[in-house]
Amino acid sequence: MKNSLNFQDADAFYESLLDAHHGLSREQSELLNARLILLMANQIGNTALLQACIAAAGEPAPRPAMTPHLHGT
Amino acid sequence: MQEHPDYAETAFTNGYEFTQGTGYQLPEYPFVAPPELTSGEVRRHPIVVVGGGITGLTLTCLLAHYGVPVILLDEDNTVGVKGASSRGICYAQKTLEIFKRLGIYGRIAAKGVQWSVGRTFAGDDEVYSFDLRQQQTLSLSKEPPFINIQQFYVEGFLVERIYQLAQTNPGVELRWRHRVTGLEQNGEIATLSIDTPAGTYSLQADHVVDCSGSHSPFRGWCQATTTAKKGDDRWCIADVRFSNPPPAERHTWIEAPFNEGRAVWQHLMADGVWRIDYQMPPDADLPSMSREDVVRARLNAQFKRELSPEECEIVWVGPYAYRSECLDMLRHGRVFFAGDAAHVVSPFGARGGNSGVQDADNLAWKLAAVVEGRAAPQLLDSYSDERREAAQFNMRVTNRTTRFLRPVDGAERLFRNAVLSLARQHLFARQLVNTGRMSTPNTYTHSSICSKTGGLATQNTALTWPDGTRGELIDLLNWAGSRLLLLVFGDLPASAARRLQDLALQTDVRCVQVIPPDSRASAVEHVIDQEGHLQASCHVFGHAWALLRPDSYVAATGESIDTSLVHAIAMALGTRWSLQGEIA
Repeated sequence: MKNSLNFQDADAFYESLLDAHHGLSREQSELLNARLILLMANQIGNTALLQACIAAAGEPAPRPAMTPHLHGT
Repeated sequence: MQEHPDYAETAFTNGYEFTQGTGYQLPEYPFVAPPELTSGEVRRHPIVVVGGGITGLTLTCLLAHYGVPVILLDEDNTVGVKGASSRGICYAQKTLEIFKRLGIYGRIAAKGVQWSVGRTFAGDDEVYSFDLRQQQTLSLSKEPPFINIQQFYVEGFLVERIYQLAQTNPGVELRWRHRVTGLEQNGEIATLSIDTPAGTYSLQADHVVDCSGSHSPFRGWCQATTTAKKGDDRWCIADVRFSNPPPAERHTWIEAPFNEGRAVWQHLMADGVWRIDYQMPPDADLPSMSREDVVRARLNAQFKRELSPEECEIVWVGPYAYRSECLDMLRHGRVFFAGDAAHVVSPFGARGGNSGVQDADNLAWKLAAVVEGRAAPQLLDSYSDERREAAQFNMRVTNRTTRFLRPVDGAERLFRNAVLSLARQHLFARQLVNTGRMSTPNTYTHSSICSKTGGLATQNTALTWPDGTRGELIDLLNWAGSRLLLLVFGDLPASAARRLQDLALQTDVRCVQVIPPDSRASAVEHVIDQEGHLQASCHVFGHAWALLRPDSYVAATGESIDTSLVHAIAMALGTRWSLQGEIA
C-alpha cells in the first residue's frame, strides 16, 4: 500500500470532493461516499491492496481526534 | 498654518483596535500645502497614486526607481493604520525580490525574522512538521522563502526610500493628509477633488491608481462591480511580547485544546513580538472578543498558567472577519485598481499584501513605458488581465483553506476528521491538511502580451560577471530599468550577434549574452551562468533566448534571433511591429 504522497493535485481533489457533497442530505452524502469507494476500488482492483486499505481505514488512530466545539459556545 | 476645520480625522474602519501595552511609536510625516492651493491652478500629472499602504508605496517607489514622475496622495500622515500597529506580517520570496530591486531588502532582512521550523497540531498531537532549510534546494533565489516583519516597518522603509529617490527626481511627491473626495473622468483624463487641512483643490491625471484599500470610494465612483463571498469565520489577533519567549517556530493548531477545539496560529515577528491568532466561534461578536480580560484568559489557557503583564505584554489586539472579493475589471477608464482596492482574500497563505506588491510591480513598468512613449497605451490593459487572473487564483486557493479551517457541518467536517485521523499515521494524508498554501508568484496563462512559453516568473539567481565577481539577476534587471531585458544563452554566431546589435538599437531592449563557464563570449555585455541556475530560472534549455520584463517575468522564449523575437518584443510592449521598425 502506498503511504507516500501520490496526488497530482491534492487540494483540487479535496475541493471537488467537497463540491460533490454540497447541498446533499445526510443519506445522499453517505450514498455518494459508498458509490465513490466502489468506483475507486474498481480502479485499484488488486485484492491484497484493497484488503490493506480496508484494514488501515479500520485501525483506530493513535489518539482520537478531539471533538470540536465550533457551535454552541 | 490655520487648520481647515472641515478636514475630518481619518476614520478607522477596518476593525483593528489598540489595547494596552507600549505598542509602537509610528513615524509622522509633514503635511505640506500644495502649490495649487495658493495658485488655484489645476495641474495635469501623468500618474497619481491614491493610498499610501504597502501597495501604493511600492508602486510609487517603483515609479520613482524607474525615474518617472508620480504623486502619492494619502489621507493620513503615517504608515500602518493610525493608532494600530501591524496588519500583514509575512513577506514571500517574490515580494522580497521586488524589495531588493528597490534597495530596501537589506533593512527588511536585518529587522525581520526568518524561521524554518513549522509544526501543525490537532488536539494535543503533532500532525506533522517541516523544516524549510531542508527544502531550500528547491529554490534558486538568493532570497529566503519568506520573512516575517510588521507591515508598518516595510511601509516606513519604502517612504524613506521614496524620499531618497525624490532628491534626484523632483517629479516624485508624497502628499500626506490629502484625501480624495471626488472623481470625474473622460476618455483622456481624470480629475480628482482633494481635501487637505489647508483647503480643497483639484488636480488632473492621465492615470490614477487606486490603492486605497478594501473600503475604496473609487469602486463606487467608477461603478465597479465585484464578485464577493462572505463567511461567518471570526478570528482575533493578540500581538504579544514574552519575558521568556517560546521556541522560534511557527506553530499552527487546527483543533487547539486550549481554544475550545478551534484553530490557533502562532508566529514570530520583529522586536520579539509574537502574533497569536485565535479562531473564534462563527459569527462571534468582534468587540467583546478583543477585551483585555478575554484576551488574557485565552493566553493563560494556551500557556497553562496565569501570565502576569510583566511576563506577557499585549502589544496590540485585532479582531477580524474576512471576505473574499474581486473586482470584475481592474481598470475603469483612466483608473486602475490595485491591492485590497482590487481584491480581498482571507489571510491564510499571506496572499493579501504579497499580491498587492505584485500588482504594483506588474503595473509600474507598464506605466513607465507608456508615459515615456516607449509602448502603446493598450499595454496597460494587460495589467487588468494578468492581475485579475492572479487575484482569482488567490481567491480560489484561500477559499480552499477557509473550507478546511471552517468546515460546514456534514461532509466538510466529516472529511476533515478523516484527514486529521489519517494524517497522524499516513504521510499522504498530510498533503490534504490545509492551513494555508503560502504565496508563490502567479503564472499568467491568458496574457495578451506573453507568448505561449511566457507568463512565468523567474527567480533572483546568482550569476558571475566577466571579471569573476558574483552578481545576481536583479543587477541585470536594475540595469535595464523599465526596459525589456533579453538574455541569449549559449554561443552566438557573428551574424546573429549583428542582428542582435541592430535589434538593440532599434527597439531599446537591453541584451546580454549568457555563457557557460569556460566558453567564449561574442557580445560585449555578457555574464557567466556558473551553475546553470539563471537558465533554469528562465525556463529554457540549450541554445535559447528569454525575453524578461522589468517585473522579472518571462514575456517569451525562443531559439533563434529572427522575426519571432522581433514579434515577441512588440507583443510584450502591447504593439505590433512592422519590419521597417515602426510602431503600428
